[in-house]
Amino acid sequence: MEKKIRVLLFKPGLDGHWRGIMTVSKALSEAGMETIFFGFKTVEGVVEAAIQEDVDVIGFSCHSGAHLEWARELVRELEEKGARDDFLLLIGGVFPEQDHEELRRIGMDGVFGPGTNTADIVEFIRERLESRAKKGGEAT
Amino acid sequence: MRKMSSKEEIERALEEWRRNKEGWPERRESFKTDAGIPVKDLYTPLDVEGIDYLRDIGFPGQPPFTRGVYPTMYRGRFWTIRMFSGHGTPEETNERWRLLYKEGETGFSAAVDSLTFAGVDPDQEVEGATHEVGKEGVPLYSIRGVEAMVKDLPIDRMSVALVVEPLTSAAVTSMYFNVAKARGLRKEQLAGTTQNDILTMTIGYIPWGSLKPADLLKLACDLIEYCTPMKEAPRWNPINFTTYNYREGGIDAVQEIGMGLANAVAHIEELLRRGWRIDDFVHRLAFHLSAHRDFFEEIAKYRAARKLWYRLMKERYKPENPEAYRFRFHVQTAGCSLTARQPMVNIIRTAYQALEAVLGGCQSLHTNSYDEAICLPSEEAVRLAVRTQEVLQEETGVGSVIDPLAGSYYVEALTRELEERIWDYFLKIEEMGGVVEALNTGWLFGEMSKAFNKRRRDQESGEEKVIGVNCYVLEDEEPTPPFRTNPRAAEIEKERLRRLREERDNRKVAALLDQLRRVCEKRENVLPVVSELTAAGATLGEITSVYREMWGIWQLPFVA
Repeated sequence: MEKKIRVLLFKPGLDGHWRGIMTVSKALSEAGMETIFFGFKTVEGVVEAAIQEDVDVIGFSCHSGAHLEWARELVRELEEKGARDDFLLLIGGVFPEQDHEELRRIGMDGVFGPGTNTADIVEFIRERLESRAKKGGEAT
Repeated sequence: MRKMSSKEEIERALEEWRRNKEGWPERRESFKTDAGIPVKDLYTPLDVEGIDYLRDIGFPGQPPFTRGVYPTMYRGRFWTIRMFSGHGTPEETNERWRLLYKEGETGFSAAVDSLTFAGVDPDQEVEGATHEVGKEGVPLYSIRGVEAMVKDLPIDRMSVALVVEPLTSAAVTSMYFNVAKARGLRKEQLAGTTQNDILTMTIGYIPWGSLKPADLLKLACDLIEYCTPMKEAPRWNPINFTTYNYREGGIDAVQEIGMGLANAVAHIEELLRRGWRIDDFVHRLAFHLSAHRDFFEEIAKYRAARKLWYRLMKERYKPENPEAYRFRFHVQTAGCSLTARQPMVNIIRTAYQALEAVLGGCQSLHTNSYDEAICLPSEEAVRLAVRTQEVLQEETGVGSVIDPLAGSYYVEALTRELEERIWDYFLKIEEMGGVVEALNTGWLFGEMSKAFNKRRRDQESGEEKVIGVNCYVLEDEEPTPPFRTNPRAAEIEKERLRRLREERDNRKVAALLDQLRRVCEKRENVLPVVSELTAAGATLGEITSVYREMWGIWQLPFVA
């Protein structure tokens, strides 16, 4: 049997708008992925768990207006642990479209604003992981 | 006199009308409201059979209050234009409040940041504290923040709503009372509201490090007890059951009001348990409802809610004070109905929702700004939102008459249907032991997640239409310029706290915090000591940390 795609989802910081992340979590599991909802945790804790649980994707939801700060912190923490390239990184939530490019520049692979169809997130994850696997395969 | 048509004649005529329109196809197989109530093609006198005017509808300001809680409604005074607002620093929020006041706002409402909501100081070693200062609302970490927020504003004449929940309601409300006192105002004359809602803090929004439901209920009731039966602030609304916040999660109108009534009952029972009489406090309980997308259903919801509150009081609690039977409510137009795509369409959505609230007899109203699915509102956007209410007040004439939709076969039939469904849902929560138990078991979280997952499926399948998202999509859209909060807010607030800690009597604060520990241990009312604490310059984080230390943090029973 094919290995299930494993996704760790979390809410960074203190903000408690929980509907978005739970909705995405449910949609991903309905699409056959294994989701771990990590609640409101420190970025440090999330990165440790992601490494330990050997997930494929880390995603977070941000409604606090601090999306750039959180994206930077997540990438910095991954770099410190030497795991920068081990995960597909996703962000969703309420933030201006003008910041999408900056979020990608920081290192977020997938950026999903309000009104995103969850099928697009599922497709994005599958495609990116597939093309990564191919690249990985060619390299070895 | 001409003979009136009989029931049988109407039935026969209706049957014939239905026969005659066979062969006229309809747009869809069946129609239903947002709450799933089947909608017929036409409503007639047959649908309001059994509804007795004097018993079930009555007059405004009189039982069962279907037509409104006051005898004159908007002919006496318009609803209060109360915009939920706050960002950056207290000084910047003060500036925004001045603008709103100048533009015609008639009541203030403080939107706080995630730290204030969670009772965390920016200099505490808590993850995220620095990133989120002033981003979602105004930072109110000490009496100095509150003082700066309301500086030179006419709080002697205008009511102020403090949108903080049980975790921080005692601290922030007492900061406000202490500021007012320093300005020469007496607590007895202050008008306003503290949201103080346990369900907002649990199923509506889950802040970092929440307390257990029973502890949140205790704190909520402490504030009610202090303001109302202890008569410390008799004009203050010490709680606003904010069904708006749960509705935002995706539940429907029936669940919204059902949960709200069950929530109110939990507080009433706790205050009775503490030895107060119903008449000591119940007249000050108020509500904050949503105005959602189904126009007539929302109007019927407000009418049904008033009737149900009256019924609850009359059948169960029997207060003597006639004020206690009035279901007073603020309305906020539905934030979750707004879209980031084609945001100008949000102005139209909000205007219809505002009209629902007004036709439904609200006491005060917040209209969302068109950019709120993107960022906090810009000045331009918030001015338009205020204007939306002013158009209703000054140009449309809707405030000239009371409850104009009464007698509409559809609205009356829907009011009755909602009334029955809401009461059943309320009893269901009661039967499982009330809202605290329904939180502990995770049942309420389950209701929420069922609802938002269903919304997602309905929107993605196109069953629930959302303009600009799943229909009438624009391919190349110019993004709206976002409003940005002050990037230096964290620095400014940290400095404010540093100076405060330097200038205050730290020994006094420490002694009072110890006293708060003892109060928490004995589970006495926290307000008297918290009030002394905030006057002495204790911070929000210091006070909330004592609750967390003494009562522990709640592990949420998540149901995904």
